[in-house]
Amino acid sequence: MLSLTPRIDPTIQSLLDDHDYLGELLDALGSPLAVVLPQRLQKNVTAFRETFRRHHLSGRLYYAHKANRSSALLRELAAGDIGVDVASLGELQHALGAGFTPDRIVATGPKSREFLWLAARAGVTVSADSYDELAELAGIVAGHRLPRVPVTLRLSGFASAGVRVLTRRSRFGSPVGELADLLDLLEKRADHLELTGVAYHLDTIGLPEKAVALESCLAALDECRARGLRPRSLDIGGGFGVNYLAEGAEWDRWTSELGQAVLGRRAPMTWENHGYGLRAENGTLRGSLAVYPAYRPVAGAAYLDRLLGTPAPERGRPLGELLLDHMYDLDVEPGRALLDQCGLVLARVTSVAGDRVGLDLNARDVSLEEHGVLMDPVVVPRGGDRRAGPAGVYLFGNLCLESDLITRRKVHLPVVPRPGDLLAFVNTAGYFMDFSATHALHQPIARKVAVYRSGGKRRWCLDEQYWPVHTRQEVP
Amino acid sequence: MRHDDITEAIGNTPLVRIDPAVHGLANIDLYAKLELLNPFGSVKDRAAWHMARPLLAGAKPGDTVVELSSGNTAKALALLAGMHGLPFTSVTNRMKVPEIKELLLLLGAQIDELPGRSECLDPTDTDDPLARMHRQLASSGSGYLHTDQYFNERNVDAHVHGTGPEIVKDLDGRAPDWFVACVGTAGSSTGVARVLRQHNPDVEVVGLVAEKGDFIPGIRTIDEVHEVGLFDPDVYDTMAAVTADDAIDGLLTLSRRCGILTGPTGGAAFVGAVRRLRAVDATLTSRKSCVFIVCDRIESYLSYVRDRRPELFGRPPRRNSTGTLTDAELHAAPAIGVEAAQRWLGETDALVVDLRNPYAYQALHIAGSINLVDEVFADLLHAGLPFSRRRPVLMVCPVGEKSARYAALLRRMGHPDVHSLAGGIIAWRDAGAELVRD
Repeated sequence: MLSLTPRIDPTIQSLLDDHDYLGELLDALGSPLAVVLPQRLQKNVTAFRETFRRHHLSGRLYYAHKANRSSALLRELAAGDIGVDVASLGELQHALGAGFTPDRIVATGPKSREFLWLAARAGVTVSADSYDELAELAGIVAGHRLPRVPVTLRLSGFASAGVRVLTRRSRFGSPVGELADLLDLLEKRADHLELTGVAYHLDTIGLPEKAVALESCLAALDECRARGLRPRSLDIGGGFGVNYLAEGAEWDRWTSELGQAVLGRRAPMTWENHGYGLRAENGTLRGSLAVYPAYRPVAGAAYLDRLLGTPAPERGRPLGELLLDHMYDLDVEPGRALLDQCGLVLARVTSVAGDRVGLDLNARDVSLEEHGVLMDPVVVPRGGDRRAGPAGVYLFGNLCLESDLITRRKVHLPVVPRPGDLLAFVNTAGYFMDFSATHALHQPIARKVAVYRSGGKRRWCLDEQYWPVHTRQEVP
Repeated sequence: MRHDDITEAIGNTPLVRIDPAVHGLANIDLYAKLELLNPFGSVKDRAAWHMARPLLAGAKPGDTVVELSSGNTAKALALLAGMHGLPFTSVTNRMKVPEIKELLLLLGAQIDELPGRSECLDPTDTDDPLARMHRQLASSGSGYLHTDQYFNERNVDAHVHGTGPEIVKDLDGRAPDWFVACVGTAGSSTGVARVLRQHNPDVEVVGLVAEKGDFIPGIRTIDEVHEVGLFDPDVYDTMAAVTADDAIDGLLTLSRRCGILTGPTGGAAFVGAVRRLRAVDATLTSRKSCVFIVCDRIESYLSYVRDRRPELFGRPPRRNSTGTLTDAELHAAPAIGVEAAQRWLGETDALVVDLRNPYAYQALHIAGSINLVDEVFADLLHAGLPFSRRRPVLMVCPVGEKSARYAALLRRMGHPDVHSLAGGIIAWRDAGAELVRD
């Protein structure tokens, strides 16, 4: 069997076991349906805190809002003590409206003039991507007579000594070589801008690249101090990853077999023998597998732990110890990793014919394929017995479009579904839920509900109706 | 034997019989082809020289030799390029063997490590860094001399004209009944197999690969061999997997009992060969022979072995180490808060020892303190107290954890007046106490 069984924790499992509950939700709210589990967030927050504690580090956790538009998740986090990383004017408004105070918000990403103004007006920390952005912000602060705005400098283009560690080019951040110019500007605009730290964010799972960046940023922070500034923190962004699969052996087997299928040595396991980046040339496998490493034994807080234990390429000491030595706080911005196991997407099966299963949702409603994450959905049968599987099937979406396959991979289900059954795409809260959903063809976008426990009972409400004020928690 | 240059010393390596008492086979003579005795230390010397020779002959000043290699091919090419006054660049996913990395840097090579996989993946972007690199190398006038070891037929050729015939000659004109080789670029196994089959079509060729997820330097995994252009599954009668454990077991046996200083690849070949032969040995009625390749030398893999078998490097525990402290000793470590410490420093001539790294110390520290990085301090303590018992000491680290351990150790070593700064220099800073840069 070539199953890729998802990792499912008890909260989601208990929900999946309640077929009638999910069936009724879908009957009432339509297919597809997104479910978020705000109360599950705490476990992930605690895991990150535990890693901080183990390395004796202080600093702040910022939830990268872009991973999910949900209000319920945001409000739940606002009720706790972590911060939020907002990357648009809309996200900033959302965060302020959810109850985040400005000292718990950092503004990142491309910034319009309006975004900069609201950030400055509210007094949130602005992570500046360039000299020009910093100058524009200072101009806004001066022009509107606003108080000094806390800023961090996002840096990029780090160079390694000895071995040249190559990194993808980034759109974001100022070249580290231009730090002196940025500091000149900060000195000149000291009445308007207050440096609180430096930041980097690399889109890679590679530790060596991050180690080079982190060590370079420490040197940059020391340079800031030498100039008389008082930076507090190093923000290392996100990218800690999630482990999606229950078993490494399944992942190993599937990826090995895919190579064989592409070489024509076994039956195809994907639609039209799609190679996910691999191709055959004269009997040799070329290209590289362009999928997310769905089985990642070291992910999330454990990945952060590994990073902090990695020796700095120059100074040799573990990066976590260097941060401590230099007395800097560590700020992190996990998105996907904070949302691990915090949601799922449900869809109704509309047709079953041979190895083809039609669903009332499309590839944009659960954008696993777009992000290269491969895992099997879970069948939620509605009444009656199902023919025992395993069933290898292709999942077709509801768009009148040849390319609308939920995944080009043949998925494997333990039982053969029937029309009317539900398929659950679990662990999809981070980036796969609403990131790409569209109204194309007048198909509905999934409604989103929050499922939570209050007073010992499972309850649900529409996402926008959720506030973390459950009567039982309050002490009269 | 006189040579005009070192490349003439490549090849003509000895074929050495392994003592039957070591391998325990009754009916089979097992021979090791000692490629580790090539001048640069490995079987790759042959392929590197054979591939590079025509490129170097046509090289223009300023050209760069480049290869995707994190091991022996890179080493050989770095030396060959250097002999021709050209730079060498090694492109690699990750240099996993630190000794080789250091050696390449020492030889003047540039090492480019490719970026890791993207976290926010775009699966439509199949333009992976490696593909981009290949395109860049292939474009004409790029100034790159790319030896392309995984696809270059001259890699195989080197063994068709060298290694293969040498084995046949040393076996008095006969091919062995088995030939066992680890598959890296598939160059040596393919080339040797071709020659041996011309002499004996019945020779059984055993290709060894690593298990998925395992790592043996120079051996591809079961998946990775399919990415090798020179790899043709039909070359091998049998493919078998070996593990890092096998490789180290073999390395130990050949080194300790046969005087052959092999690296892990040769060790894996030995274990793979014996495993295959044991299955048939008892059924044989006539004398047979088998040859395996010892690819390279042991010295580059000390840390590889140490990571996996630390006990092989076991030393007696060192004196005066914080690792030997008991919980009771740790609890008894005298700690002092920031305010009390400030008073105490004012009243005594206590020595303040800052255990942090020198850069952090130089950026900000307690006035009058000295910097002894914890690793250095630990080394000093093995020999004894590095300061007088009469001088009070305040130990300082970031949060007061390490300093407490050292305070406990110093106390055990007989220092009467040592304190650890509770909460460390971070508490000191947070209390608003003075920090200086000098």
